[in-house]
Amino acid sequence: MIAELFYRRQALILGTLSMIGLLVFWQIAVDAGLINPFFISTPSQVWTEFLAQFEDGQVAANLGATLYCFVWSMGLATVVGIVLGMLAGWFRDVESALEPFIWFKYSAPTVAFYPLFIAWLGYGTPTIIAIAFLFALTPIYANTLSGIKNIDRDLAKAARSFGAKPLDIFLQVALPGSVPVMMAGLRLGVGRALTGVVVAELFGANAGLGYAITYYGQLMQTTKMMVSIVIVILLGVILTQILSFLESKTDSWRVDSGR
Amino acid sequence: MADVTAETAATRQVSFASLRPSREAVVGTLAVLAFLVLWQVAPSMGWVNGRFTSRPTEVFFAAIDVFMKDDFLFHARISLTEFVAGFALAIVVSIPLGVLLGTSKIARYLIDPPLMALYIAPTLVLLPIMVIWLGIDMAPKIAVVFLGAVFPIVLNTMAGMSEADPRFLRMARSFGATKLDIFMRVLVPGSLPALLTGIRLAVGRAVLGVIVGELFVSQAGIGYQINLYGSAMRIDRLLVYVLIVSAFGYTLTILVRSVENKIRDWRSK
Repeated sequence: MIAELFYRRQALILGTLSMIGLLVFWQIAVDAGLINPFFISTPSQVWTEFLAQFEDGQVAANLGATLYCFVWSMGLATVVGIVLGMLAGWFRDVESALEPFIWFKYSAPTVAFYPLFIAWLGYGTPTIIAIAFLFALTPIYANTLSGIKNIDRDLAKAARSFGAKPLDIFLQVALPGSVPVMMAGLRLGVGRALTGVVVAELFGANAGLGYAITYYGQLMQTTKMMVSIVIVILLGVILTQILSFLESKTDSWRVDSGR
Repeated sequence: MADVTAETAATRQVSFASLRPSREAVVGTLAVLAFLVLWQVAPSMGWVNGRFTSRPTEVFFAAIDVFMKDDFLFHARISLTEFVAGFALAIVVSIPLGVLLGTSKIARYLIDPPLMALYIAPTLVLLPIMVIWLGIDMAPKIAVVFLGAVFPIVLNTMAGMSEADPRFLRMARSFGATKLDIFMRVLVPGSLPALLTGIRLAVGRAVLGVIVGELFVSQAGIGYQINLYGSAMRIDRLLVYVLIVSAFGYTLTILVRSVENKIRDWRSK
């Protein structure tokens, strides 16, 4: 009975165990004096510090600032990425014209443009949004493009023989068919947007999780720093999970040509 | 009717294909040229402030300057060392780990959750703590490159191992292959393309890691130079260094991709 339950939930049980084990090992290693707590802090200290930062509103302020930049950059990247991806997927020449720029964007280290954005947009929020926008744009654009391009030829042909105009085919066949691929692009984009926001905040901001990490890092206060690091990691996991869930919801839109 | 015109257009294209470059290449080149012209003209027309945008010609002369003097090789060598050390370390650690996770279910269940969390989360966020641990020399950058590169390689090696064709496995086993034989002859060749995909994805993250690490805190390197010229508002030189990094990342990605395709072809034969 218990063994059966174990086998069915093996992944979940072992996964949880390993997470707990990691935390216990971390705590014990420091308590036993194997590692200097100055370098890595301990889970119990991080938890106490988290509660303290939660009480005095620091967590809310930093999380709010990061999420504000995240939502803006992700929103912009979604709109621009999907519009450009649709145009490029539908018109061959648009794709060819954008191709070199996308390749450059793909291989250039976006953060290197940080000083340029500071010069153009000023210090703080606008620059952070711009960097995160560029981070998130590529996967959203690329997935929309491939979604529109790989439309079901049979469906398109059937629609055409029933007198559908190109616009009809675009709206009724290409667009719905590419929604699942687009969602996958958004899922990848979410992770990259978060990276963009936090990395840009590391370099210069007045608030935000990345700002808190650099700030306490410069003061060498590992525990306070760890609070924000852990929040960022959790945020990444949660946001990606939400998008994975939404992606699985759109699976029914997936056009299966083998049917 | 429509079919006929389409056909003639197709044949015409074929006959000219050897003489003329493809339409895509022409459109792409034109787009880049249009962008360069606009960029060159915009500051003199007063549309944008040239101090903030520089010009293609200025960037070109700055490139000559950078290559002739400016200790370019010195900085490039430091960044390259960080990249190679971090990447090599990532390969050494991630391939055995990926093999272990791909062949043992228990190990996969145990290590997968923390692994996935770190793969999804921005590992660059660990940069400040790496600086506390390792100082401001090359070590924290090597660590960040390692952290950026290690997870895509582990996860792809793992996926490649567990996606081995079960028919081959069964056949090998029924011909009396030992576990080692199966590993060497079936699993390793079977997972090579996935491994290379992981390496290709890791290249981008590793390049970003070097540059972000050096921008954050450093005393030398390409990222240091970018930061220096950024704060001095020497946009032309800044762009030269950004272009160099892009070209490096692009070349490496293309190289790995071509090896990847070659191995896929070889395997399907």
